[in-house]
Amino acid sequence: MKLFEIEYISLIAGFILLIVGLWGIISQRNIIKMIISFSILDTSVHLLLVAVGYIRNRTAPIIDSSVNKLNAANEITDPLPQALVLTAIVIGVGITALLLTYALKLFRQNSSLEINQYKSLKW
Amino acid sequence: MVNPIYIVAVLLGTAFLLGLFRKKGTGIIALVALAFPVFVSASWFFHFLSGNTEVLNFFTAGAKPPFSINLQLGIEEALFTMVINVLGFLGYTYLYRDFKEQGIKSTVLFLILIMGLNVLIMSRDIFNLFVFLEIVSIAIAGLIYLKRGADTAIAGFKYLIALGVISTFLLIGIAFFYLFSGTLNIDDFLNSNLPAVKGMSMAVFLILMAILLELKPFPANGWALDVYQAAHPGISAMISSGTATASIFLLYKLLPLSSIDWLPYISIIGAITFIGSNLLGIAQKDSNRLLGYSSVGQIGLMLIIIGMAPQLGEHFNLIFLTVFISHFLAKAGLFWISGIIKKDNIRQWSVLRKNKLLLFMFGFFLLTLLGFPPFPSFYGKWQLIMELAHGSQFIWLALILAGSFFEGMYLIRWFGFAMKEKDESEEKLTIHWEKMIPPVIFTVFVMGASYFANNSSDYGHTLNLIPIYFVIALFLLDFLPAFVKNSLVIASMIIYSILLYPDISDDTLRLVFAGIFMIGGVLTLFAGYSVKGKREGFFPFVVMMYAGLIGLIEAENLFQFFFAWEIMTLGSYFLILRGKKSIKHAFNYMLFSLGGAYLIFIGFALSYFGQDSLDLSIISATTLPGWTYTLLAIGFLTKTAAIGLHIWLPGAHAEAESDVSPMVSGILLKAGAFGLILLFLLMGAEQSEQHSLLYILGWLGAITAVGGNLLAVFQEDAKRLLAYSSVGNLGYILFALAFMTNVGWLTAITYSINHFLFKTLLFLAIGGVVMRVKTHNMYEMGGLIKKMPWSFIAVLIGIITLAGIPPLAGYGGKWLFYNAVLTKGWYFQGALIFFSGTIAFLYAFKLIYSVFLGQPKDKFRNVKEAPIWYLIPQFILMIGIMVFSARPDLILKPIGTMLSQSNYFPTDPLNWEDVTATTNLGYWSGYKIMIVIGVMFVVLLGWLMIMSRKAQKIKQFNIVYAGERPFTPGTTHFSHNMFSNYYKAIGFLSWPVATGFWNGVNLFTHNVADNIRRIYSGNGQTYIVHIMIYTIVIYLLMF
Repeated sequence: MKLFEIEYISLIAGFILLIVGLWGIISQRNIIKMIISFSILDTSVHLLLVAVGYIRNRTAPIIDSSVNKLNAANEITDPLPQALVLTAIVIGVGITALLLTYALKLFRQNSSLEINQYKSLKW
Repeated sequence: MVNPIYIVAVLLGTAFLLGLFRKKGTGIIALVALAFPVFVSASWFFHFLSGNTEVLNFFTAGAKPPFSINLQLGIEEALFTMVINVLGFLGYTYLYRDFKEQGIKSTVLFLILIMGLNVLIMSRDIFNLFVFLEIVSIAIAGLIYLKRGADTAIAGFKYLIALGVISTFLLIGIAFFYLFSGTLNIDDFLNSNLPAVKGMSMAVFLILMAILLELKPFPANGWALDVYQAAHPGISAMISSGTATASIFLLYKLLPLSSIDWLPYISIIGAITFIGSNLLGIAQKDSNRLLGYSSVGQIGLMLIIIGMAPQLGEHFNLIFLTVFISHFLAKAGLFWISGIIKKDNIRQWSVLRKNKLLLFMFGFFLLTLLGFPPFPSFYGKWQLIMELAHGSQFIWLALILAGSFFEGMYLIRWFGFAMKEKDESEEKLTIHWEKMIPPVIFTVFVMGASYFANNSSDYGHTLNLIPIYFVIALFLLDFLPAFVKNSLVIASMIIYSILLYPDISDDTLRLVFAGIFMIGGVLTLFAGYSVKGKREGFFPFVVMMYAGLIGLIEAENLFQFFFAWEIMTLGSYFLILRGKKSIKHAFNYMLFSLGGAYLIFIGFALSYFGQDSLDLSIISATTLPGWTYTLLAIGFLTKTAAIGLHIWLPGAHAEAESDVSPMVSGILLKAGAFGLILLFLLMGAEQSEQHSLLYILGWLGAITAVGGNLLAVFQEDAKRLLAYSSVGNLGYILFALAFMTNVGWLTAITYSINHFLFKTLLFLAIGGVVMRVKTHNMYEMGGLIKKMPWSFIAVLIGIITLAGIPPLAGYGGKWLFYNAVLTKGWYFQGALIFFSGTIAFLYAFKLIYSVFLGQPKDKFRNVKEAPIWYLIPQFILMIGIMVFSARPDLILKPIGTMLSQSNYFPTDPLNWEDVTATTNLGYWSGYKIMIVIGVMFVVLLGWLMIMSRKAQKIKQFNIVYAGERPFTPGTTHFSHNMFSNYYKAIGFLSWPVATGFWNGVNLFTHNVADNIRRIYSGNGQTYIVHIMIYTIVIYLLMF
């Protein structure tokens, strides 16, 4: 059954997490919960990236004892998406950190983390 | 040449090192680091500009893709990195002080921001673009908090969450792009010719959608507007001009990836953004948020242009670059000014008046945005509209002008507040010099850009720019005393007229109007000698107005005509705005003028449809005569203030300064009349299918004449009375023109000359009186004949001409007029005009009686005669009236000959025998009438003097009140509420229907804007929902 192969599972999981993350961002009133939802969204994309780059029956693109150096190109999965994921994770961390900083600033100034309470800028 | 990779290296390296050392002087180091990229990109730009076309490709880490990232630098990249780097350098200069207070972190972020923007433009690797988009977002998000507070914090939070979601789209798009294409390199992909698969177009859709969302399309842009409002204006300037530039270039770079044609959708997205954003701006009060709306709107316009690229062909570069550079320079400049004055509400911007330079730059940038000539986007917009018409994209043309009109509405209102609203702030405006440098430099750049735009435009070289240079010179000479500048302007106008004369001496029609504009201009300027001091900001605009007027005469193609029309509008707007209570009236004037100008613009564009030249004559050959002529006629009628479009006129003319009123009433209105004449000439007498249009215009003229005169009767304000009288008189002119017969046109010309002579005379005389008595209300005046005898004579001559009483020129006009009516057979309309002539008697009497006759008021016991500088032009005008009354043939004969000999109106001409004019219906000799009436006058006067030699002179207080003393003597004056009986009878005709209608339109627009903008609920989550719905809608539209 193709559907239960690892790349499809991760693809589907990725999409489910994507929807969970988006839903969380627009439905959770608490700013911290919104940030967590954002992290889920972020993770879902990472999962998708890895799933896209996966080639069945191959190993991680790390040249060590398990890989024949001469035949590496045929034994490892596509290294590029994995490199991209690393970069994307770093960026995600940066953005999450900045979001949390803003949450902290907001809480210190107004003692509230309800997104509904911050509507002074509008129209 | 320095390899551009060092831009990245230097900025990144400096940012790291600053973080390590934390020494003093970081600001200077950062400035030097920011100057370096300016140098690199500028040197490459000029390298490419000087003919080198080889595009530079370079790689990171010394390897080829896919192991490294390739960057590209061609002339486009060099140009865009250059403008961004200049913005970066100046933006840092502007924020120098704020960064110093905040410490090193913000400086580091700023350097990273500029680096990110550079890479966004040069990089050819999609994933790399994603990374640097994120870097830019993070840098901006950090910089937003430069101004501390809960508002900025929540704005930053919304910004990050929204961009987080957008970049998720982008990353998914990139992942699947890689899956289907196996590459991340744009060039590799473009060279590989992969077959189009459904999944691929979905991936590209996500990528392009993310970039589009970064461009803040309406209505999925609430997060961006909040940032514009809350962030430090110095940062908003970077977002509005910097990141928007990079994003739009990114879109341009990535568009070829798609196998689907995105361009139509981009145009639609742009149009919705341009119109929606500008409409919503109308209801906006917060200045930074308003600038945000305007930014978004301008990006919308650029999107339209990008989407239309195939239709625009070779003109795309000029159109896009002029619109882009106008937005880029002006928006940054306006945000910078906003940061200097630190006022949130647009009404409080009156504080700008404390600093002349700031006020000047504010107006300068607003006009740049609005695309008035000679600013760069004028050339772009002209070309855009013309090309759209050529490609028969009429709906787009209308949409673009509608959006521009909305933009005009709020920008002009804002400018009015800055110029006229009461300045309530007590404190002094503290200005740091380093904050002034960037906007000043951008002002200079705008001028440079205008120069280049003019040179690159197809028709720029046909323009006569000497008057524009003279206007600039007058701005620089504004420190001189008024009388010096006045003499300078008068001398230049005389010299210009003399130089111009040989060119137009064979075209009598143009000569007449040139005479009205130039002689009238010099005469009205004489009155300006009575003003003491410097009179700052007056003379440049006077010259601008007259330059525009004379430009209309000189215009040989549509471009020149429209250029002159806009210049004239602009100059007159500033002149009208100078009046004490003019804020509302000048705004109305400008709105109607802008609307009218756009109608004329569309009319020109329609006549260009299917033709290759821009010569004025293409109007005759238009393939869409109905639309073209109707739009042009309505456009010109806004200037002549036909009834229904007249509501701006009374206030604008009445509240203007004493010597400005005659300029705008006696002279400026003739621009509309000249436009109509030109239009009708080009329509040709034989255009039989235009009969219904002419018939309607005839009726409109008749109704305008009655309405204007009727409204004049019920005015208590002397200048308003004259203003309404102008409405009526222009109605006569329109009516007579619509005859399209030889005598009808002679009537119109006679009326034009007459109206110029007597209205300028009356406005000067009444202006002189108003200057002395300090009120416009006629019932507060009275009995001034003994104090101001010369003004009395002027007004007397003026109203005799106005009312068409023999022997003066007004009578000649009437005679011609009845001839024309009887020949044409428009009896009913003619009766209306006859009726309105009777009404004119009423207000003419009211004017002279209430002001000069009756009982003098106690408080005006020591009033002096009007200034001599007001009287001199009045007497010259009176001589003019006398000459034209006695010898009308001097002007009318050559015009009649011209009309008969050309193929316009060969039939039924006016025949001249010496000084006597004859038609089939009778004859008229101004000269003989003058003699007959003169003799009668002398005889009667002598008779009266003999009869009344025993009469007793009565002192003013030689009267008895019948035991009662009136408590408000003013209201017992005969002239107070004069004609109230007439009002009871026909007052309902003067109800402000038109004003009510336009107020309703205004209110409706405001309400629509105010209701729609409530979609920006302020809730960050709503904004995310907007983004998602927007994406889904676009997806459904495309697939």
